[in-house]
Amino acid sequence: MASGADRTAGMGLVLFSLLLFSYYTVWVIVLPFVDADHVLHRYFLPREFSVILPGVAGVVLLLCIAAFTAVVLLKNHKPKKMD
Amino acid sequence: MASRKTQPPNRDSKDKYSVLLPTYNERENLPLIVWLLVKYFGESDHDYEIIIIDDGSPDGTQEVAEQLQKIYGKDKILLRPRAKKLGLGTAYIHGMKHATGNFIIIMDADLSHHPKFIPQFIEKQKEGDYDLVSGTRYKGTGGVYGWDLRRKLISRGANFLTQVLLRPGASDLTGSFRLYKKKVLESLVERCVSKGYVFQMEMIVRARQLSYTVGEVPISFVDRVYGESKLGGNEIVSFVKGLLTLFATT
Repeated sequence: MASGADRTAGMGLVLFSLLLFSYYTVWVIVLPFVDADHVLHRYFLPREFSVILPGVAGVVLLLCIAAFTAVVLLKNHKPKKMD
Repeated sequence: MASRKTQPPNRDSKDKYSVLLPTYNERENLPLIVWLLVKYFGESDHDYEIIIIDDGSPDGTQEVAEQLQKIYGKDKILLRPRAKKLGLGTAYIHGMKHATGNFIIIMDADLSHHPKFIPQFIEKQKEGDYDLVSGTRYKGTGGVYGWDLRRKLISRGANFLTQVLLRPGASDLTGSFRLYKKKVLESLVERCVSKGYVFQMEMIVRARQLSYTVGEVPISFVDRVYGESKLGGNEIVSFVKGLLTLFATT
């Protein structure tokens, strides 16, 4: 069995994902069928953000991967050239 | 475990298991692993031999191997040393050339793989006449001891990516604790072109390509207590490169 700390971290990840998934599901699928003056709408951002935010997150992720790869490859080439 | 009295003697089958042990600076672990192999093979009464392929270890691994040979006999311990560190794939080829068994077991010599799983591999192989049996860390009771959260996350992430891209039909692709039929291993090694982690992955992918059957046995992998098996950015990038190459070419 994984250590207690690791299992806590794992459960934390699962919980976070569940919350995020539920929030997004309600936002995109449930809210369109709810009247515009219902109090529920106060807890959710304007609908445009349900597309913008994941889009931005995806771009940021790709940038991070590219940056990571660039740093690693550069580190590789530097000592080789200096020899 | 069933008692030996009620089981048919395993010696009746003409199967012989050759264990390939590529070593580099394993002077302290080698006697332990040989003793464990002898113990578990002895208990399960299967015919075996241990082939030690040392790549010119500077710490005296070769001398230890020679002493072990005196203790256990030249028919059980075979030495096939090489002059310098040449890589795993060539170590397998080199070891196989002199293997007299019809099955080959590959494993790490640094005690991260425990020989107690070998009888389970053998049983599994007989169950379905599998061409290869792979020890998996990601299914059933399989797992890893001694990795921190970061290392475990990276491992799971890599495995997930691999499953999505390659759909290999096996849960653990980078594991190196496996049992192969000798002719299967021979045909796979001559087809594989990659190195390192990716080599192990390529073996399984090619095995599926050639319609070989793959069985799985959950194993516990115990990371070295001493040693520098760190996973740096370099390994990650070369892993992804290898994975994408496999994706594109198989």
